[in-house]
Amino acid sequence: MRRAAFALAVAACALARPARAQTPVELLNRGIRAYQNLDYDSAAAILSSALDRPGRALADSDRVRGLVYLGASELYRDRRDSAAAMFGRVLRLDPRYRIDQLVFPPEITGLFQQMRLVTRAVTVIVPPQAELHAPGDALPIALYATTFHPVDVAVLRPDGTPLRTLYQGGVGDSLVIRWDGRAADGSPPDSGRYRLQVASHGGDGRVVRSVAIPLDVSRVRRDTLPWPAPVPDSLILPEQAPGRSGVGALGAGFAAALAVVVLPSVVAGSASGAGTRFVVAGGLSVAAVLGFRGERRPQPIPGNIAANRTLQAAWQQQADSVHAANVAREGEVRLLIRAGAAHVTETP
Amino acid sequence: MRRAWPLLLLALAVPPGRLAAQLPRYVGVDAGMSRLEFQSASPSGGEKLSGFAALGHWRVVLRPVSLDLSYAQGRLAADTGGAVARSFVEGAAFLSVRPAPWLALKAGPHLRAYAAPGGTERWVLWEGRAHADAPLLDGEWLAYGEVWLAVASSVNVVPGASGARGAEVGLTLKMPRSPLWGRLAYAVDQARLKNGARTESLQSVVLTAGFGGR
Repeated sequence: MRRAAFALAVAACALARPARAQTPVELLNRGIRAYQNLDYDSAAAILSSALDRPGRALADSDRVRGLVYLGASELYRDRRDSAAAMFGRVLRLDPRYRIDQLVFPPEITGLFQQMRLVTRAVTVIVPPQAELHAPGDALPIALYATTFHPVDVAVLRPDGTPLRTLYQGGVGDSLVIRWDGRAADGSPPDSGRYRLQVASHGGDGRVVRSVAIPLDVSRVRRDTLPWPAPVPDSLILPEQAPGRSGVGALGAGFAAALAVVVLPSVVAGSASGAGTRFVVAGGLSVAAVLGFRGERRPQPIPGNIAANRTLQAAWQQQADSVHAANVAREGEVRLLIRAGAAHVTETP
Repeated sequence: MRRAWPLLLLALAVPPGRLAAQLPRYVGVDAGMSRLEFQSASPSGGEKLSGFAALGHWRVVLRPVSLDLSYAQGRLAADTGGAVARSFVEGAAFLSVRPAPWLALKAGPHLRAYAAPGGTERWVLWEGRAHADAPLLDGEWLAYGEVWLAVASSVNVVPGASGARGAEVGLTLKMPRSPLWGRLAYAVDQARLKNGARTESLQSVVLTAGFGGR
């Protein structure tokens, strides 16, 4: 009776297809409605059709939903092995999936939990992009397992040799591993395409499932800090004042020289002047001429010179600190890690 | 002698606020040589002597006043037939204030002695001095002039002192950013005995090197 109904449902699907091409999602929803109407044969047929339809594939979340309803339908069709296989596919597709106990009865959830115990798979979550530059920075690798089982987590070079083994041991519900971006010897890797591999081991020790995620690692040089802007000309004070006339120095010097010449007669009256005084008069005259020339030269302004030196020193201090920071930045190794899509390999 | 006190008090009474060019506290010393030419004239004739003297000068600035102490000692040889060679000793102490950056007023005693085999002539002069500076270059080269007048004077020669006056003009050269400096100066003074009995004039060309304040 059931086989007849199933054949009828398949025939109905076949006849309906030419009338209007249904999308996989529409088929999926139809199959779920059939399940909810307790028409398990039709549900199984429709869901199988939706899941197996080539071309416009279902999204992973819809595929999981379809597989769960298909597994439930198969169980109610007394096809327990098929149901178990569907639930196994669900768990391999999404090891974190938890069946809704409010929607499905205990016999369904019970079988699902049994499959969870025997299916060894992990979901690996890696941020799509991470930048490691400071000590302590690391790439977080989150593992979500269906059941407790041993796993190997390693970063492999392009040629498949291990760059760094990150973890070897059991994982139960979840585990977060952190990779600091270094090779086994502690050195940063060269830029290149690496692979994060998480291998799940079966009860016999064989690798039963492997998740590989490509990691594009590139060394990034931090941008250097910009050089401080030079001191604007508007802040630079003039360091020299225009030269003075020098007439004052010339006049004072020659007046003093003249005074030396006439002083004996002014002060000592009739006393004859000492001839050596002309040495002093000559010295004063020479000093007057030199002073005249010197005063006409531009005169330095000590206050302005000091202020300009202070400005220059402050700028130089800034420049030195920027230089030191840039030297430090050039010495830093920063890694930019981009993670690709996971690729799962099942071993029968 | 009593007439000296008013001058000293006047110097000290200059308001401190006017002492704009006060130099910071420091001590300066200088020492050198001077070429001396001594002439005396009296109704009966005159004499000329010349020689050299070593001199030293010490200055301390304690705002608002400065204290100058100087000492010189040398030997005068006769340039004319009737003159007698003699030793020359001189000392002075002056308190000074600066009412303007370019001007200093000084007051104090000035002692001078000529020691000859026949006796020693001693002069005691209480002087008031005015000293003016004129910069020649960058404040490092200075021309200066100083005039002085004895407000009180005495001498141990009959008939006694009638008065004295003098002047000095010179040049100080300071090394840039250095405490060293040099001085080249010409000084002349005349002291008189009462009743025109005699006049004595002394001219000196001074060359010193100093350290510290000028």
